[in-house]
Amino acid sequence: MALCEAEKTFVLHGVEENFRVDGREREDYRPIELETNIVSHAFGSARLRLANTDVLVAVKIEVDVPYPERPKEGKLEFFVDCSANATPDFEGRGGEDLAIEISNSLSAAYKSPEVFDLTKLCILKGHKCWKIFVDILLLECGGNLYDAVSIAVKAALWDTRIPLVKSVTVDGNNVDMEVSDELHDCQKLDVTAAPIMVTVCKIGEQCIVDPNVAEELCSVGAVVIAVSKDKFSTVLQIGSGSLHPQTLLECLQMGEKVAQRLSEALTETLSEINPNKNQDVGFLK
Amino acid sequence: MSKNRELLSKIGLRQDGRRADELRRIRCKLGVFTEPDGSAYLEQGLTKVLAAVYGPHQVRGSRSKAQHDSAVVNCQFSMAVFSTGERKKRPRGDRKSTEISIHLRQALTAAIKVELYPWTQIDVYVEVLHADGGIYPACVNAATLALIDAGIPLKEYVCACTASLANNDVPLLDVSHQEEIIGGPTLTVAALPMSGKIVLMEMSQRFHVDHLQKVLDKALQGCKDIKSILDEAVKSHIQDVGSSTGWASTT
Amino acid sequence: MFTTKAFIKKNKVGNYLKHVREHYIRDDISCGLQECETCLPVESFLSPDHENKCSLFTSNHYLILDTNVVLDQMDILEESVIGNVIILHTVLNEVKHRSLPIYKRLCAVIENPSRHFYVFINDHHQGTYLQQNEGELINDYNDRCIRAACSWYINHAPKQKFVFLTDDSANRIKAQKEDIPSYTVSEYVQNLNTSGLTDKLSRKDFHGNDFTKDVFPNHLSNVELLTGIREGKLLQGTFRASRDNFLEGFVNVDSYEEPVIVQGRAGLNRSVDGDTVAVELLKEEEWVCPSEIILEDEGVGDESVDDVVTKENELQKATKKKSGAKPTGRVVGIIRRKWRQYCGILQGGIDGVYQMFVPADKSIPKIKIETRQAEFLRTQKLIVTIDSWPKHSRYPHGHFVRALGNIGDQTTENEVILLEHDVPHSQFSEEVLNCLPKMPWIITDDDVKKRVDLRHLDICSVDPPGCTDIDDALHCRPLADGKLEVGVHIADVSHFIRPGTPLDREAASRATTVYLVNNRIDMVPALLSSNLCSLRGGEERFAFSCIWEMDQNANILSTRFHKSIIKSRKAMTYEEAQLIIDDKTKQDALAEALRSLNKLAKIMKQRRLVNGALVLASPEVKIQMDSETMEPLDVEVKKLFETNSMIEEFMLQANISVAEKILEEFPDCAMLRRHPVPPATNFDPLVKAGRHLGFEIRVDSGKNLAKSLDEAVNTKNPYLNTMFRILATRCMLQAVYFVSGTYQKEEYFHYGLAVPLYTHFTSPIRRYADIIVHRLLAVICGADSTYPDLLDKNKTTELCQNLNYRNRMAQYAGRASIAFNTHGNYKMRKVTCCMSVKTPCKFLYHDMAWNVPYLWPKKAKRPIFLNTMKRTRHKKPEVWLFTLLTPL
Repeated sequence: MALCEAEKTFVLHGVEENFRVDGREREDYRPIELETNIVSHAFGSARLRLANTDVLVAVKIEVDVPYPERPKEGKLEFFVDCSANATPDFEGRGGEDLAIEISNSLSAAYKSPEVFDLTKLCILKGHKCWKIFVDILLLECGGNLYDAVSIAVKAALWDTRIPLVKSVTVDGNNVDMEVSDELHDCQKLDVTAAPIMVTVCKIGEQCIVDPNVAEELCSVGAVVIAVSKDKFSTVLQIGSGSLHPQTLLECLQMGEKVAQRLSEALTETLSEINPNKNQDVGFLK
Repeated sequence: MSKNRELLSKIGLRQDGRRADELRRIRCKLGVFTEPDGSAYLEQGLTKVLAAVYGPHQVRGSRSKAQHDSAVVNCQFSMAVFSTGERKKRPRGDRKSTEISIHLRQALTAAIKVELYPWTQIDVYVEVLHADGGIYPACVNAATLALIDAGIPLKEYVCACTASLANNDVPLLDVSHQEEIIGGPTLTVAALPMSGKIVLMEMSQRFHVDHLQKVLDKALQGCKDIKSILDEAVKSHIQDVGSSTGWASTT
Repeated sequence: MFTTKAFIKKNKVGNYLKHVREHYIRDDISCGLQECETCLPVESFLSPDHENKCSLFTSNHYLILDTNVVLDQMDILEESVIGNVIILHTVLNEVKHRSLPIYKRLCAVIENPSRHFYVFINDHHQGTYLQQNEGELINDYNDRCIRAACSWYINHAPKQKFVFLTDDSANRIKAQKEDIPSYTVSEYVQNLNTSGLTDKLSRKDFHGNDFTKDVFPNHLSNVELLTGIREGKLLQGTFRASRDNFLEGFVNVDSYEEPVIVQGRAGLNRSVDGDTVAVELLKEEEWVCPSEIILEDEGVGDESVDDVVTKENELQKATKKKSGAKPTGRVVGIIRRKWRQYCGILQGGIDGVYQMFVPADKSIPKIKIETRQAEFLRTQKLIVTIDSWPKHSRYPHGHFVRALGNIGDQTTENEVILLEHDVPHSQFSEEVLNCLPKMPWIITDDDVKKRVDLRHLDICSVDPPGCTDIDDALHCRPLADGKLEVGVHIADVSHFIRPGTPLDREAASRATTVYLVNNRIDMVPALLSSNLCSLRGGEERFAFSCIWEMDQNANILSTRFHKSIIKSRKAMTYEEAQLIIDDKTKQDALAEALRSLNKLAKIMKQRRLVNGALVLASPEVKIQMDSETMEPLDVEVKKLFETNSMIEEFMLQANISVAEKILEEFPDCAMLRRHPVPPATNFDPLVKAGRHLGFEIRVDSGKNLAKSLDEAVNTKNPYLNTMFRILATRCMLQAVYFVSGTYQKEEYFHYGLAVPLYTHFTSPIRRYADIIVHRLLAVICGADSTYPDLLDKNKTTELCQNLNYRNRMAQYAGRASIAFNTHGNYKMRKVTCCMSVKTPCKFLYHDMAWNVPYLWPKKAKRPIFLNTMKRTRHKKPEVWLFTLLTPL
């Protein structure tokens, strides 16, 4: 998408007036749709649609050996794939830069043990642990990818059911384990502290959240803030512009406020999901 | 595991309860995304595919690709890393994906009226969300819908289907992943069902020419059945879109 | 309707995958009742004409079975009084999952129209499909599905009566609450108006009262066993009972070179020969050596174990030695039972309903059964199966399955041999016979066009006397410039047996024709084996020909294969052919051809021997039968003529030529035959025996072995050489069929024949492997088409395993039959003698494969078999006392 000068001015004025092009105020989000357990053969999954940003997240698990320096911890890995469905620019390896940027920011946001407790994933200290693969598929880019991805990841992790380990036996170097083959015998992950990312975008003199594509093009700079409960887990400046320290501080405050709101809304939404109701809708809706 | 399993039980039912000549459940939807010019989602049994079409537009990258008498059809096949039972390492770029991309282009080029759009390019991207057998046919069928959604003129629908042979005798239609594992050869056919022309045929494993005819007939019948299902979906989609724009009330 | 099933499964590399499967629910599945008007008509054997006569009910009824009923009471279900049975798909799947043999038996019953069984696909039926509840165990879920199907039937056809049989009391109570008439099998069977059926009830519900003392230690639970094995505290292995000592057995553990000895009641702890067991090793100071005493179970059916205790003490004394102790352990649990049906007789002199069954196989313990017809059964050979072995019982509990016939009857004994060797020998089914060509069979012009017409050639066959399944014929004619054309013509069986037909499946399952002394169990129906495929003299037959051009020195100049039509001039015996060759006055074409063939064969044989082929004799014993009574009259060692080896040479050459051809065309899926080089240790007994008698037998290569065997001649004892050769045969490994793609090229070697490539092509009437080879060759010649299984490496490997197994069993069965008849021959002339046999000698003559020890004293003309006689230990340790049944 390319904007001409007049269009940019229009967007800028809208932000200034606290009446954005699509009628929102500066701290408003576009409508979000969330659906969990959408990929039946994954251990957990979620699809999030934020206006026309579309993200599909699936969680797969494997049995792995813990890192020698952290024998009591499991592993968590993020992988982002930018589908060419979103834009022809992503064809081939075109989306790789963006993908790596997003997956790195997620790894950073989830790194702290207070955010996500990896010791829960340990099966046998130093020998066996679960490795969780969080695979994120970007299906459509309508702006504000970080926020959408982080919410979808949190929801997918919330949805994840890790099979219950029934027994672990050690025989020399050989570790054998047995897992319950009943699907409902499972362990759920604690995601209360999982971070939510909010992108705060500076347009003109003002900051907004949830920029759409046009607004992203007008922005001089943006900060992605990952908030876990009431703490920041990562702050990341993106875009080519520069920000004044004072502005940065304002951005952080705004981000935290919005993140709390989002987090509450998400918790409420997730609690409304009835696991027994077979929705089976997905992309057919 | 597969040793004691049979493709077709003595009572005539397959592992999943279908009869030999039955397709899996097909559900589909056109226009699932706003960004692409055309998009579609298709489920064939548990195999789930998203397709997006961009174009016709100016040829991207090197201009030398452009053709003076027809549009260039560019296809990319990609599988989500979580789409298979075991997690894949890469979504695309491996041999199999490249091969499917090429086959996809072959089948779609045969159906699109490419001569209408010289010097242009049409991009077709398919993304497999769940692979449960018959990936290629599902991709072709989804791509057809996406092309229709994009309003690109086609000669006719292009549909694809697989067929196999059970007990050396009975042709099986639309094999699932489980049936692929149990064994038996798989014949994949992409066809223009209305004229009955075959645009692509591929066979895994050797099987004797004597059986080819009946398996092929079955696969072609499958393509025809799929065509009518897709046609139904297209009609209801147009009805929906049309009524929301108000033309339904005028009739 | 559509639903999915999801489950987690471990994959090969140890990861856990979540699988999702589709599951379609249908509205077009029929109930199978003939009276039903709502369901779609479907082929169903259920019939209102069949009546289940059970006094519990006033009217006729249909039966629905629980899984446990099928698993435990298959012998009852095989009785034809029970009919109109509805087998639910849930039950069928569960049975298949739990026990494949039972599943196969059930399928056989279901397929029999006269039994009136019907399979109802309840799990895909919209009225009876249930979703598994969260937290519900799979067994509970299946039970719920079964009950739901019962209720559905009751509502679906209110005019009919349905009875649910289950031995699971919890399920029965639940079913009764849901108003489903439910009974246990024994309740039902006891009220059937058929006598004798109760004998066949499986008895699992033996509960000893608390006062009875346990005879055996407890078994560990499954979990304990698995953990123990995983942690290396316990060893897993196959239990092999000793044939001579009922208180001793061995456990073959993979990781141990020597088997682990288990002794005494507590050591064996209810293992039965063949079971997979877990053993715990004893401390090294408690190890014992293998006993050499014979202990027979002389129990008479009561539960007292006093006599066993005495024998245990005796055993302990005999085996407690300081030196030579071997790893010893005790069985602590059974991982998998290998119980099957056993042949045998009832022990005499026991009154009451509880009888003792003595299996023919000495390694199986006596089995306690309950019967009300003991008097009659005592005259019969029986089949009995084990149901359970509770720890408070000295003997396993079983039930009577069926009687085979009077003890001592030739037919009964044959039946025993066939059953004990797992030889399929039932009549060919209607389905199979339908695949046969319709008679009269004529050769059409179409056939002639597709084949090379060789009817003008002077072809003849040479076989043993009385042979009716002639599968090979030969011809030889001179060509220009002194060359010879030699043809081997093999019956074209694959023309009649088309892949995938019931006939083909049956033949593949039988794998080989089994020859007993007075009976032949054909692989293919007689119409083919003795008529259409038999290359009889003077009749036009289809053949698969292998034709060589040879020079006078038997060098092959060219080879070709094609299908042909032949007309054999004469079917000769070896003796007849020999006479023609020897009779110089005969100058006709046939006689000349035979002479040339004989000459070539001699050159070929010589060349083969030079290459290191082994000539291994095995005592081909011919038993002359009285044609009326079918009693054996005399035993004679078969005479061998030059013509025997003439035929053999050409068959070998044909097999080799074909093997080369099919491997060339199908490097991945050719069916070949290999004979592995035996490990040097296998030859130890032979080398030892040779040294004992003053010969050096070299075993480092086939060539040297052949040479040293040739040299091991003692002019005073002409049988000695034969004996060495027999012994050498026993040291060999079995030759086996395999698929070319599954082995390295070097391993294709056939040790016995000393050829790099070999297969079986020449006897398709009696060997299934040959049929496969024919099909491969036919594809190469363009005479026939392939089919997927033929080229599927895995399928063919599976087939090879069956062929190898059946071949081995057929061989054993044949020997057992000879052994039985040899003894039978002399049963009237009982001779008692005492003889001393030193240990090496005993070993020397102990023929493992025949299952019988035999002696071959210098004076005797032939070996003496000892298997049914009593062996007792003399005061001197190295002397055994034998009661001989064979005259010297």
